[in-house]
This record gives sequence, structure tokens and C-alpha cells, in this order.
Amino acid sequence: MLHGRVLSSPYAHAHVKRIDTSAAKAMGAVVITFDDIPTVRYNERIITIPSVLHKDHYVLADKVRRMGEAVAAVTAETEELAERAVRAIKVEYDVLPVLTDPIEAMKPGAAPIYDTVLLGENEIEIDHNIACDRSIEQGNVDRAFAEADLVVEGTFNLSKVYHAQMETKSAICRPEPNGGLTVWPTTQSIHNVRILLGQIFDIPLSKVNVKRVPIGGTFGSSIQMNPPIPICAALALKAHRPVKLTLTREEDAHDHTRYGEQIHLQLAAKKDGTLTGAKMEAIVDIGAHNIQAYSFLGVTVGWLVSLYKIPSVRYHGTAVYTNKAPSCAMQGFGNPQVTFATESLIEELAEKLDIDSLELRLKNYVGMGDTFWGQGPLVRSIVNSDGVPELLHRGAKAIGWNDRPKSGSETGRFRSGIGLGRGFHTSGAGAPQPGDVIDFSGAMVKLNVDGSVDVITALMDHGGGTLEALNRIASEALCVPLDKVNMAPAETCSTVYDCVTHATRGVYAGGGAVLKAATTLREEILTTAAHYLNTQAHALTLRLDEELGQGVVYTPSIPDLTMTLSELATRCWSESWKTIAAVESYRPVHCPPAYVTVFVEVKVDTWTGLVHTVKAVMGSDCGTVICPKMAIGQLEGGLSKGMGYALYESNAWNTDGQLISGGYWIDSKTSGISESPRIDALAASFAHSYEPSGPFGAKGIGEAAMNPVAAAYANAIRNAIGIRFYELPITPERILIALKKKERMHEQE
Amino acid sequence: MLPEFELLMPRTLPEALEMMDESSKVMPLAGGTNLLVDLRGRLSRPQTLINIGGLDELRGVRVEDGYIVVGSAATIADLKRNALIAKHGQALRQAATVFANPLIRNRATIGGNLAYGSPAADAAPPLLVLGAEVELLSKDTRRTVPLEEFITGVRKTVRHPRELITAIRWPIPPEGSVGVFRKLGLRKADAISVLSIAVMLLHMDTGDCDQLRIALGAVAPTPIRAAAAEDLLDGGPLTPEVIAQAAQLASEATQAIGDIRGSAAYRKRVITALVQRLLTNLAKDTKEKKH
Ligand SMILES: Cc1cc2nc3c(=O)[nH]c(=O)nc-3n(C[C@H](O)[C@H](O)[C@H](O)COP(=O)(O)OP(=O)(O)OC[C@H]3O[C@@H](n4cnc5c(N)ncnc54)[C@H](O)[C@@H]3O)c2cc1C
Repeated sequence: MLHGRVLSSPYAHAHVKRIDTSAAKAMGAVVITFDDIPTVRYNERIITIPSVLHKDHYVLADKVRRMGEAVAAVTAETEELAERAVRAIKVEYDVLPVLTDPIEAMKPGAAPIYDTVLLGENEIEIDHNIACDRSIEQGNVDRAFAEADLVVEGTFNLSKVYHAQMETKSAICRPEPNGGLTVWPTTQSIHNVRILLGQIFDIPLSKVNVKRVPIGGTFGSSIQMNPPIPICAALALKAHRPVKLTLTREEDAHDHTRYGEQIHLQLAAKKDGTLTGAKMEAIVDIGAHNIQAYSFLGVTVGWLVSLYKIPSVRYHGTAVYTNKAPSCAMQGFGNPQVTFATESLIEELAEKLDIDSLELRLKNYVGMGDTFWGQGPLVRSIVNSDGVPELLHRGAKAIGWNDRPKSGSETGRFRSGIGLGRGFHTSGAGAPQPGDVIDFSGAMVKLNVDGSVDVITALMDHGGGTLEALNRIASEALCVPLDKVNMAPAETCSTVYDCVTHATRGVYAGGGAVLKAATTLREEILTTAAHYLNTQAHALTLRLDEELGQGVVYTPSIPDLTMTLSELATRCWSESWKTIAAVESYRPVHCPPAYVTVFVEVKVDTWTGLVHTVKAVMGSDCGTVICPKMAIGQLEGGLSKGMGYALYESNAWNTDGQLISGGYWIDSKTSGISESPRIDALAASFAHSYEPSGPFGAKGIGEAAMNPVAAAYANAIRNAIGIRFYELPITPERILIALKKKERMHEQE
Repeated sequence: MLPEFELLMPRTLPEALEMMDESSKVMPLAGGTNLLVDLRGRLSRPQTLINIGGLDELRGVRVEDGYIVVGSAATIADLKRNALIAKHGQALRQAATVFANPLIRNRATIGGNLAYGSPAADAAPPLLVLGAEVELLSKDTRRTVPLEEFITGVRKTVRHPRELITAIRWPIPPEGSVGVFRKLGLRKADAISVLSIAVMLLHMDTGDCDQLRIALGAVAPTPIRAAAAEDLLDGGPLTPEVIAQAAQLASEATQAIGDIRGSAAYRKRVITALVQRLLTNLAKDTKEKKH
């Protein structure tokens, strides 16, 4: 196997004028540049339907639009040689003005980052660096505001933080004698990688085989095909040898971030706390590539109207190119940003109206029976399970909500405060009618001659236990003991399509597909058994026989008339009849909200500005809890990531478009275990809830666990020191500056 | 990725000094926790590294002629668990406890911490208040430099390229001395100091402060002593008024700059608050001890 290395641009915005690869080639390396790659423009993320998909990406750049963009790549016998070769490549750049601020980027005369991109198959011009924009309106907004008793508003600034996923982006590609490719990538969707590689390199998909590799975390960073994957493929195809390409952590940190955004939000309400209207303006910093900005703009208002019942809403969102790392989904796909803004303003509204903010939430939240369109205007469903009141009341009791200090009443050096954040994520992006996002899963289930079951799906597991949950669903549906169910290794050539593990859809939609296939298999089992037992399928049913450790087909009225699943499958085999197997595709027609409530207690050190987490109480309504321990892990992980977003993490670029941290983690500040509250001060629990549309009543959890955390922190800090923060992260420095400003204002009064 | 370099593995200190003498393109490698990171980032491009981390002569902590002598290749983890350090280098031990993370502590050396010349080196403020000296050896020379004079600027020291730090030493503090260290990082562990403070109180018999030393990290191009504050406190009682004044003077001694971890203004402000708190605690502790 050969080793690959990428030559990344040191500039954030430049034309590549000339590349001299002779020295690298003289060392024996195989080199690729823009001239060697197919001139196919694509979008790394093909979850948006083709007609509204913006495509602005090449495998290698002829014009770099961010620091770290791949300009060339090499492959050689050893990593050392590849490294030496890549450094021997000489590139001449024509350096262009750098735009790091979306507001500046939109101004007339700003340097164009793109002239044109493709929308579907059509070339469109990009004006003022605006990648796309979207206006959505419902109800009568002007009247809602005119008739309101109170309007609260704020401008919220959210930074572009790095995913900090467990492993850096990586791929191994092996060219096959038939002209095809076998690929082992870091990805959340093996099928989408396959489709893209087939399209870019013009290889029949039947010859592109992408394998599922266990990965320890993504946080959304691998929903799209990671940039190193097609580079690795191009290297392997040119070298005619298998190639491995793995980014260093420093490179990876330059590669993708969460969407940075400025949200201006206004909420209008009646005196009794009833929300009547909202106006929302979002300016989204998408960085150097448009990965899924159009859908992002749609969900941004979707999150708002699905958090609270707001009859009248006017929204405008603008996605702007800048010379920074491309923004992509990261735990919540814009939801933590919107929830931070909304939950901050809800708290402010409650303060101004002198209503308990928990009651205000209960009065207005989107719950049982309400229409819900979190995933954007086309993805509508009705809420059928709702554990919000239970979670809010239980959490309030556990944290001591009613005894919390009045906001800003604490004095002394250390000031404590309690904050609440409430949110949700959708379980997938399914709806009665297909929208602008592709959302369906597939699964195969087959019964082996010993009564054991293979589950075959292309779904990915990023360390959350998704595949374990699928095994449990199959076990339950087929009355087969869990240790006899196995998740098969997956590759694209032998699995049916699954869009991607994202959008908190793994258990709900991927598990739904397994349940559908298992239900079909169950029918097949009963029909086949009916043939042997001389009865009708609908007279038969299945149960798990604990003693036999087997599933058993039986009919309640004639106890002797039974057959174990092993007997059944063995007869089908020995009589040369068939394999009992089923394959199904499944598109969920709902995307139920997985609710989460977070209460945190913090202690703010007014001398240093440091915030200490004293206690956290997390509650989740994920419907039926399929793997309780893993689900608790999701809540705890969500707290940690949300805490990082609230207090620690930021990715800043200087005006030259250089990432200030250099990609070194020592200064990128994800929160570590020491930042977590003590284990006995961290409670996680579940609502008694059942989602009728989910597999055995289950919904999702992953992203929901993180979405309201930053809001809970901001509200807790507000409660402790009487100051509201509109920008994340709420660093010690920002806290001290705000405290000083407040002191000065008091002095002046 | 690391660039290529030659790695020499001396077996003895004289052999290492011999290798150091041969060219100026060589660089000692101790724990590598600064150096390897810089090599990856191409901030440093030595052709040859000399691994001194394994040299027995450079390890260990011992008492010698009324001094505590710490081998330059003693790791931060060594310092953390050493009984002599616990007794005679209290602030240094506290700094070792909050240094980086366990993995780094097992590799990082005290010599490397000082040789690197970072204003944020956590070993420096404790060693400054202990009155430490740096022992430098080359093939033909030996000299001892007070730590205050050793680091001269950001990443600058008086060490000649052919010299090795062989040891760090300080006079055994008088019985009853108290040393404390505080650092403020943006996380509780695995964080470079935004600022750090070491305070040492020598003799406190009468309720007056016989000698008090204050050193600050990450608030000037080098770790510094807060001389004006020390002078003010010298010989007087630690009253709240004096403490407040001293804290102000300490803050004025800084030439803080703003960087990725914090602005200059933030550093100045927090230094004042933390010096005040450390001194107040010290005053309280010594009073309690007496009763
Ligand atoms: C994740 C991480 C966290 C960190 N956290 C902290 C922290 O909390 N506090 C802190 O102070 N530092 C921290 N550091 C920095 C680093 O660990 C320390 O500065 C460490 O003490 C360096 O020692 P070393 O033995 O690893 O030095 P090396 O990296 O081996 O060497 C550093 C420099 O000193 C020179 N050198 C080393 N030994 C000698 C010698 N005996 N004589 C002459 N020159 C020598 C080398 O040539 C090189 O130039 C951290 C580093 C990392 C990677």
C-alpha cells in the first residue's frame, strides 16, 4: 500500500498560477494536480435533492478559497517519502483579497470568492458572495407585532467551532482490476460516497464498493464525503496501487466547522405570555464551500417555529461565502444556534412579564397534537408523543428551580445561578411527501439454519450504539435471543441504500427499516411454517423460548403444533427450498421531535470570570429507550459538547484567513472530563413516552442532547450575575468585561 | 508530520556534551513535548537531535551543600511525587500537579520547560520564588546563572547552543517557609497558563513578613518577579490594605500582551485579584498556624 499526502494552500484566497511537481516526481512519487482530476464540479453532501443542490467543489483546487485547501497530492512507498515529495512541490499563487467577515463579504466591491457555481445542472452567477438566501413567512406578522404587548429582541453571534471528532478524516482506496475501486473511508454514509465517487470518476457504481469502517465519532463532520476521500481515489487510480491518506489533526482542524451565524430574533407576546409573532434574520457564514446552505436556511426557521407555537413568522436567511473552513452540519444542524437565541429570549420575556419561565415554556411549546416542521417548511408532521411536562417538572424539582436566586441578586466573589434550556431535535427528516432532503433507509434480515439472524444494513454507527439498537429491534421483532442476532459487516455492493446516519435518525429511521424488514421476514416465517405445519399463516405466531434459546412458531390453540426457527430454516435448506430473508426500504413519514430539557447550576467566579458547572439535570424524551446506558451516554456527551460550545470552544481566523490556533488542540478548548460536573451531580433520566410511529415506540436522542445546552448555560449565567450574553463562547474574559460594564453603569446611576 | 532528522543517543553526559560540541545545528531533545510539536509545525528545523532524556546523570532530585538539586531531565511527574520537592519546593510541586495532563507530565522535563523560554512555563514562577539557579555545562565550560537572568525574552535564553542545562538548584528554604502556586487556564486540565502566580513566604515569626517573593508567569515576555510588590511587603504586617496595594503593584509590574488565550487587560485585572487572594490566604494561614 502507498501513502498519500496532501499539499494544502497556505493562503486563504488565491489563484493557483503554476505548479512545479518535477522534484516530487524525481523522488519517485506519483503526483496529482488540478490537471489530473476530472473537471466535475460536485457537492460533497448529496442529501439535498439534485435540483436544488449547489455544486462548487473540485477534487483539487485551481483556485483556493480557504487556508488548507488541497492544491495537489502525492503518493509514495512510505509516509516519509510522501511527506518529502509533497514539500518539494513548488506552487506559484496569485494572492487575492481575503474575506473573513460575511458582512464585509456582501458589500459591493468585495472580492468575489466565486464567479459561478452549479445549481443542479445549471450554471448560476454568485453575486456579493451570497451563496443562496431564503425568505419564509407565515401568518400576519405585522398585525402580530402591532397587537403584541411586548417585544423582546437580541442579536446573537455564534462561532464556527471545530467538530473535534475522535478520528481525523481518512481513506484507503484500492483500484480493482475491473477498473473499479474499493474504498474504506471515514463516513456517515457509504452509499453517498459510492455515488459521488462513481459520478466524479465516471465509474459504474457496480464497480465502486465502499466499506463500512467502525468510527468513534463524527458530530456531523462526515455526512458529506470528506475531501481526502476523492483525493485518495484519484491517487490510487493514477498510481494503480492501493493508497492510504489520513489527515493530521492540524489539517483536520482546518477542514470543517459548525455553521457560524448571526441571528437577529424578535419575539412578540401578549401580557399573559402567549407568543404571537417572530421576526428572524440570519446571516450564515458558510465558509469556502456551499455544503448544504439551502437546507440549512430552511431548518433555521424550522427550529424556531418547532420550539414554540408562533402563529406569525417572517424570516430571511442569507448564506454567505467567506475564505474560511467550510461550514457543515455539526450536532444539531443549526438547532443549537437557534435554540440558544430562542431560549435566551424566552427567559428574557418571562423576566419582563414576571412569569415563571418554565410556565411560559409550557404555555407555548410545540407539543402533543401540534404541527411540527423542524426540518424545514416541507417536512411537516404532527406531534404524537410528548414528555416535555414530565421532564420539566422532574428536572425543576431535582435542580431546585423554585429556590433559585432572583436574577442578579447574588453578591460576593462566587455567584451561583440556575438555568434552563429546552429543545429538541427531529428524528430524521421524513415527511408524508418528499421534501428537499433525501431521507430513507434500507435493511435486509435473514434467518440462518440454526435460528440465528443476520441484520444487513448500510447504516453507520459513530460510537453512539446505533447498530446495537438495531440488533435489539430485530431481536424483539423476530423473538430471537439478542446473542443470536448479528449485525453483518457492510459494504455498498451487498447492502441496500441508506441515506446517512445523521439528523438523529439512526434508531428511528434506520431502526424503522430493520423493523419493516423484520416484520416482512416474520410474515415469511409464518407463511413458510404454515406450509410445514399444515395450517394458515395467520393462525401462527412467534414467541421466544428462553429454555431452548430459540424463537418458536406456534399456534396457541394446538400447543403441540410448533416448530423452532432452527427447524424451520433447516428444513427449507435441506429440502433445497430457500433462504428465509427479507429486504425493505423505508421512508419515515413523520419526524417526531426528540425532546430534551437541561437544567444547569453554575458558579461564576467574578474575579476571574471562570464558570464552574456545579450540577446538571438532563431529561430526554426519546420515546422507548432501546439501550438505556448508551442513551445516558448520549445525554452526558451532549452536555459536554454543549458546554464546550457555551463556554470554551471557538475557532477564530485572523484577517488573512489563517486559523489562529494553527489547528493545535491545546488552544481549541473542547471541554474535558475535568469540566464535567461530578458524577453524583449529573443526573440523566427519561420521560415515560411512546412514539407511535417509531420502532417499538422509539425516537432519536443524539443531537437533541446537545441542542439546548448552551442556552441553559447562558440562562444560568444570567441568573448568577444578572447579565445576558448574546455571543458564544461565554469566556472568562467576556464575563469580566461585562461585569465591569455593569459596575460602571451602577456607579453612574 | 514530523520532518526527517538525525537522532543521536548518547550513553553518558560527557558523550552528549561531545556531540553538542560538534555542530551548532544540533539540538537537545528531552521530553520532546515542545520540540516535537514545533518540528511538526516547521517552527524549528534542527538537522540533528541529541536525546538527553535518558541520561541518568540528568535525572533525580538530591540535597547537596544546602541546596536542592534537580536534574534537568527530571520529568514533571517525577517532581510531582518526589518527597524532597514536596518539602522544599512546595510551589513547584503545586505547579507540577496542574501541569498539562498525565501523559505530558510523564515526558516533559523541568530542563525543557526552562530551556524553551516560554513566558508561560509553569515551572518558572515557582523556581523564581525559590531563588533557583540554572547550571549550564558544555564540553569545556561550566557556569551557573540565576533563573532571573536565564530567560531573556520570548523563547530566548542566555544558553549557548553548545551548552546543556544539567541541573536546576535552589537553597533549601528555611523551616516554616510556605510556597503556593496558582494558574489560570481556560480549562481545568491540559491548558497552557493564561497567567500564573507563585508566592513564597520565608520566615513569619512575628506576624510581620520577613521576606515575601512573588513571581508571575505569562504576563510579560519572560516570567517575572514583582519586585515593587515584594519591597512593599518586606518586613511589614500583611494587612488587607497592604495586600491590596501590593496586588496593584504586582499588576503594574506586568507587560501583558494579548493572545489567543486572553487579552492584556484581562491578564492585568486577574493578576490583581489573584495576587490579592493568594496573599490574603497566606496571611490567614500563618495566623491560624500561630494560634
Ligand atoms: C499538550 C501539552 C500541554 C502542555 N501543558 C503545559 C503546561 O501546562 N505547562 C507548561 O509549562 N508547559 C506545558 N506544555 C509545554 C511543555 O510540555 C513543557 O514546556 C515541557 O516542560 C517541555 O519539556 P520537554 O522535556 O518536553 O522539552 P523538549 O520539547 O524536549 O525541549 C524543549 C526545548 O528545550 C531544549 N532543551 C530541552 N532540554 C534541554 C536541556 N537539558 N538543556 C538545554 N536545552 C534543552 C530543546 O532543545 C528544545 O529546544 C505542554 C505541552 C503540550 C504538548
